Order: sequence, then C-alpha cells, then structure tokens
Amino acid sequence: MEVRNELHLALDGDEPRRVAEMFEEMAVEQDVPVDIVFKFQLALDELLTNVVSYAFDQDTSDAAIKVTLEMKDERIVAVIEDNGRPFNPLLDAPDPDLDLSAEDRTIGGLGIHLTKAFVDTLSYERTEGWNRLSLVQPLTAHSEENA
Amino acid sequence: MNVETSYSGTTAVATVSGRVDSANAKDFDQALRAIIDKGVSGLVVDCSGLRYMSSAGLRVLLIAIRKTNAAGGGLALCQVPDHIREVLEVSGFVRLTKVFDTAADAQASFAG
Repeated sequence: MEVRNELHLALDGDEPRRVAEMFEEMAVEQDVPVDIVFKFQLALDELLTNVVSYAFDQDTSDAAIKVTLEMKDERIVAVIEDNGRPFNPLLDAPDPDLDLSAEDRTIGGLGIHLTKAFVDTLSYERTEGWNRLSLVQPLTAHSEENA
Repeated sequence: MNVETSYSGTTAVATVSGRVDSANAKDFDQALRAIIDKGVSGLVVDCSGLRYMSSAGLRVLLIAIRKTNAAGGGLALCQVPDHIREVLEVSGFVRLTKVFDTAADAQASFAG
C-alpha cells in the first residue's frame, strides 16, 4: 500500500470537511481500520479548523494552507502547513479542565485534547514563516499494544 | 446533518443523523435551541444515525446541557455509536450528561 495526496486549501470554513472526507475515502480504500479512520479524520478536522479560523488576520491575500496525506509502510502520515501566525497547538492551546461542571466548563482546547488522545505521534515546527504540524499513526498500534 | 424531533410534554427526542463538524455546528445549535425554546426542559438526543461529531458538536451539546439544566431538566443521550462514545469519554462529557441505551430509557429519566 502506498498512496500520497497533496491538497491546497482555500481560507474557508468548509475546507476542513473536504480534507477529512477525502482522507476518509482514501483510508477506506486502503482498508484502514474504521476506528483509526474516524480518529485520524477527527484530528485533521480539528487542526485544520484551528488553522482556517485563527491562523490569519484580515489580510489573507498571501494565505497558504496545504495538507499532505500519505499512507505507506503500515502507517498514515499527514503534514499540515500554513504561512499564518506562529502557533503551536500542542503547547499553546489551553488544557481543558474535564472535572468542571457544565456551567463552568469552557470548550477551548477540547479539539486539541481529542487530537492528542486520538493520534499516536504529533509534532510541530516553525520554519521560515511556516507552521508545520505532523501527524503519524501506525496501523499496527493495536496489535503492538496487545502483544 | 439532519435533526428530527418528537415532542412529549416538556420532553423531546431529537434524532440527529449524519455529520456534525465546524462547518454545520451552527445549524445543529439552532435546531437544539429551537426545541428548547418551545418549553422543552428534558431533551434526549438520539445519536443512532450520527456518523461523525467533532468538538464543534460538543460545544453545541454543552450549550444545550446548560440551557436544559437551567430549565430544571437536563440533556440525555441515547443510542450513541462506539466511536462517538469515545469522543464523549475523552472529552469528559460522560460526566456532564447521561448516556442511555434507548430513547425510552432516556426520556423516562426525566419523568421523576
């Protein structure tokens, strides 16, 4: 199995869904377990929603967002790149307090919290004006865990 | 996404199907608000047809939980698919709302 897709996104609130659904189609075609398909597309959706919502100011003429999806060597790798303001969601997003009541809960940080729980390895780097987020999910994680 | 609602006194069952994400969470929010605004204090969200829900959907549920709590009732979920249940568990939402097997069980929880 080896597939690779590169997608360029418009700065539009509907784009995360387009990528998530494209990933889903690709992953199902490659017989990725449904549990991993769901979790990985949720992570892509949450991270891309952050980018299209917060990475850019009013002047968006130079805005560029691209996503590379790759499935090979029994793992899924996604790289999300944007030339928006520096932001490391892995460190800069607030950790939600899950013990608070409904009245006191805030929703901030929940998307990143789910992303961290659902994807095996996440990493961030900022280079030459670009944010680069990498998501790596081995497809054999469950069997390794159970071994 | 589609929401179909059946009313019974001050309780209602809203059956949500399809996909709830940041692109359409506003529609989900409006649908639940409209139900609560009709005087519903015990709201059951039947998730049997819910294929996908991101944190944008959780935000909508949190608002509905607050509004129904304030009205003296609450929000309960039923028929939650396994992968959505995991989202509720990881996000701590299982502490904010009860999850039942059937809509009837969920609705009965508001009777007392």
